[in-house]
Amino acid sequence: MSSQTVNSTEDIFDSSLNLEDTHYKEGYSEGYTDGLNSGKDEGNQVGLKKGFEVGEELGFYRGCIDVWNAAILVEPTCFSSRVQKSIKQMDELLCKYPFSDPENESTTDIIDSLRLKFRAICATLNIRLEYDGYPKASGIDNSRF
Amino acid sequence: MNFDDDDFELREIQRLEGHTDRVWSVAWKPDTGINGVPAVLASCSGDKTVRIWEQNSIGSFQCQAVLEETHTRTVRSCAWSPSGKYLATASFDATTAIWENVGVDFECVSSLEGHDNEVKSVSWNASGTLLATSGRDKSVWIWEALPGNEFDCVSVLQGHTQDVKMVQWNPSMDTLFSCSYDNTIKVWVEDSDSEDWHCIQTLGESTSTVWSVAFNASGDKMVSCSDDLTVKIWIDVGRMQGLHKNAPWKHVCTLSGYHDRTIFSVHWSREGIIASGAADDAICLFVENNDNEVDGPTFKLLSKKEKAHEMDVNSVQWNTGDKRLLASASDDGTVKIWELVRLSG
Repeated sequence: MSSQTVNSTEDIFDSSLNLEDTHYKEGYSEGYTDGLNSGKDEGNQVGLKKGFEVGEELGFYRGCIDVWNAAILVEPTCFSSRVQKSIKQMDELLCKYPFSDPENESTTDIIDSLRLKFRAICATLNIRLEYDGYPKASGIDNSRF
Repeated sequence: MNFDDDDFELREIQRLEGHTDRVWSVAWKPDTGINGVPAVLASCSGDKTVRIWEQNSIGSFQCQAVLEETHTRTVRSCAWSPSGKYLATASFDATTAIWENVGVDFECVSSLEGHDNEVKSVSWNASGTLLATSGRDKSVWIWEALPGNEFDCVSVLQGHTQDVKMVQWNPSMDTLFSCSYDNTIKVWVEDSDSEDWHCIQTLGESTSTVWSVAFNASGDKMVSCSDDLTVKIWIDVGRMQGLHKNAPWKHVCTLSGYHDRTIFSVHWSREGIIASGAADDAICLFVENNDNEVDGPTFKLLSKKEKAHEMDVNSVQWNTGDKRLLASASDDGTVKIWELVRLSG
């Protein structure tokens, strides 16, 4: 130690700076790795949940449409022409849905249109079909303000 | 009608008591109060009922019917079909009821369900074939009236980002107007090819909730009122230029400084008088100023009735009959009938 007195001031600073820097780098790399892992996990979970929700809702509409279409086949006059047209439009929207392309921006538009058409059909048929997963336009989220 | 030279005043004709909670809205039955047909008024209230008031031979209004035990929550708005045969009532219980008027009786013949929650407004188009409703779920619904008291849902319109306070059809064409807590008025028309309804214009001049809109008799001018304490006048630019299509509406005039709390209701009389009712308990009347045509239409205050009610004035509505009758509804639980009279001397 005594032989290095010339640069002692700098050395002391250097080592303390390096110490901080070293620990910072270590911590950063640990945090980065952990964050990457937990982020991937979380993303995976969200993706699974979201995918399940979307799939479930679309499947629900598919089921309704198939039953309605079957009813129309048996009895062509069972629904008014307006309702039949709406059912057809829902059918087309569902066929258009890009199932294997989740980042496609048209997905939200198609889901929104499907929900509106479905509500209109239910109101006209005077039936209370409620898809449980359907997010309410207002209600809980609206009560905050 | 010339309103330039004389002073006018709203004179209270009668105070109608019966509702046990705030009164939200009033609606005159079409073609009453004219040619000897007694004037008939509907009022709806937080007490879950609708009351029908009829003027008797000596000019006094009496409650003729109480429509109850149908809505389970506040009845927020009511509207007569153009023929006067049906009354539609919009309620916080998420339904819109259709009442058929047979003689002195009213029978609930249909209940429109579709809104997620509170229905705030209901309006018939000029031919009585379409009905529009709006509510807290931010949506506007259009229904078609079919024979046998059937109502088909024609379209569910989404576009507003908040509570839709009121829907109103234009009196001369099937164009629908909706105003909202999102500070805008939206204009909706049917696409003739796809038969789908869509928004063709969003009027966003207001800085706060737009509570109500109304049209002049020919339907080429509109008035709106807002939480921002202004009354705004709009014109149908295309129609003013003689084009019969849905050209954009344009804001031409703002009336401010007349009310100092939220303006809830505006209505345009057949002869051109705009009435406004507000949370400052006052009713103001405005007429178009004929002095200055250069900068477009301007309006002036014709009369102001301070303390028209003891509490907020929620609704004002002109009768279209022989006399200049105005009905107002208030948080104080009363409905008042006013007559616009010329002050002598």
